[in-house]
Amino acid sequence: MSRLSVARLLQAVFLIVLTMVSNSALAVNYQALVDADVRKFQAYIHKEFPDVRTADFADGVYAIDSQARKQWKEVEEFPPYDLAVDEGKALFNKPFANGKSLAGCFPNGGAVRNKYPYFDEKRGQVVTLEMAINDCLTANGEKPLNGMKGDLAKISAYIAFISRGQPIHVKVESAAAYKAYLKGKQFFYAKRGQLNMSCAGCHMEYAGRQLRSEIISPALGHTTHFPVFRLKWGEIGTLHRRYAGCNENIGAKPLAAQSEEYRDLEFFQTAMCNGLSFNGPASRK
Amino acid sequence: MKRMIALVSLLGIMPVSTALSADQNQGSSLIDQAEAARKEASSLGYEWRDTAKLIASARDAQAKGQQEESDRFAKEALLQGREAVAQAKYMDRNWQQMIPKQ
Repeated sequence: MSRLSVARLLQAVFLIVLTMVSNSALAVNYQALVDADVRKFQAYIHKEFPDVRTADFADGVYAIDSQARKQWKEVEEFPPYDLAVDEGKALFNKPFANGKSLAGCFPNGGAVRNKYPYFDEKRGQVVTLEMAINDCLTANGEKPLNGMKGDLAKISAYIAFISRGQPIHVKVESAAAYKAYLKGKQFFYAKRGQLNMSCAGCHMEYAGRQLRSEIISPALGHTTHFPVFRLKWGEIGTLHRRYAGCNENIGAKPLAAQSEEYRDLEFFQTAMCNGLSFNGPASRK
Repeated sequence: MKRMIALVSLLGIMPVSTALSADQNQGSSLIDQAEAARKEASSLGYEWRDTAKLIASARDAQAKGQQEESDRFAKEALLQGREAVAQAKYMDRNWQQMIPKQ
C-alpha cells in the first residue's frame, strides 16, 4: 500500500469518526429534558408537602388530608367501582361480531396500563389507553365508545385494576414526542377560560388550600388512579371527563374526550408522575 | 286630501321603520362579529364556556324582535370572544412565565 493510499484511508477513517462524534454531540436527549422537568415538578410538590412520601401522592388529595383519608379508606373497603370492574372484565372478553375480542388486542391478559400513554412515532400522536381500546374496536368492525363514561370507562377500569402496582415511566425519545409533550406542558401551565386559571394555578400554587368545602389536590399523582368512581357522578368516568369538568369550572369550553389537546395533557401529566405506580381505579368525591 | 294623508303617514312611518331596520342590521352585525371572534378563539383552543350560549340567546332574542336584548347578549359574546383571543395570544407567548417558581 502506497503512502498516498494510507493517507487517504486515514483521512476517511478520521472523517467517519468525526461525523459520528458530531452527530452524537448534536443529538438532543429529549428524555433527559423531561427527566429534568420531572425532578423540578416533584421537588416543587415535595417542598409544599414535605411529610408526604412520593408514592403516596398516587392517592390524590387523600395523601394530604388525613381526615378525608380516613373516610376514603372506609369507602375503599367496599369500593363503589367494583361492579364497573366486573362489567369491564366481561366487556373485555366479549366476542366481537368477527369472533375476536379486546383480549386479542392487548397482551399480558390486558395488564397493560403502564404501556399508556405513549407516543406512536408512526402515527405521530399520543395514544392513550382509552384511544387504544377504541382503536381495537374500530379495527374489528365495532363502533367506538363514548370517551367520557360508560363501557369505555369500565373496560379501562378493568385494565387498570389488573395492572395495579405497575411503575409509571413515560418515555419521550424523539423530537415529535417532545413536541407533543411540550403542547401538554403548555396546556397545563397556560391560563384559560373566563376565570383565567390554569391547571398549575390550582393544583400546584394552591394545592392543599381550601376551595369551598374541598381541599385542592396536588398535581403529582393526578393520572395514576383513573378511571375513577366519583360520588358526584354516581358512576365511573375517565380522566378526560375530569379534564372537561375542570375546564367547565373555570369558564373554558371543554374539549372532546380523546382530543389531541387532552391526550397531550395526559402525556405530560403522566410523565410528571414517573416513579409513581398506577393504582386505579379509585373512588373520589 | 287622501293622497296627502297617505303621504304624511308614510313619511311618519319611514323614519321608524328605517331606524328599526338599522337596529336589526346592527344586531346582525354584532352577532356576526361575536361569532367570528368565537370561531377565532375556538381555533386557538381558548373558547370560553358561555360564548356560544350568549350568541344563541342573541339570535333567539332577535328572532322574537327583542333587539335591545339581542344586542346586550351579542355585545357580551363579542367581548368574551375578543378576550379569549387576547388570552390565547398572550398565553402562547408567555406560558413559560406561568410555571410556579420554587
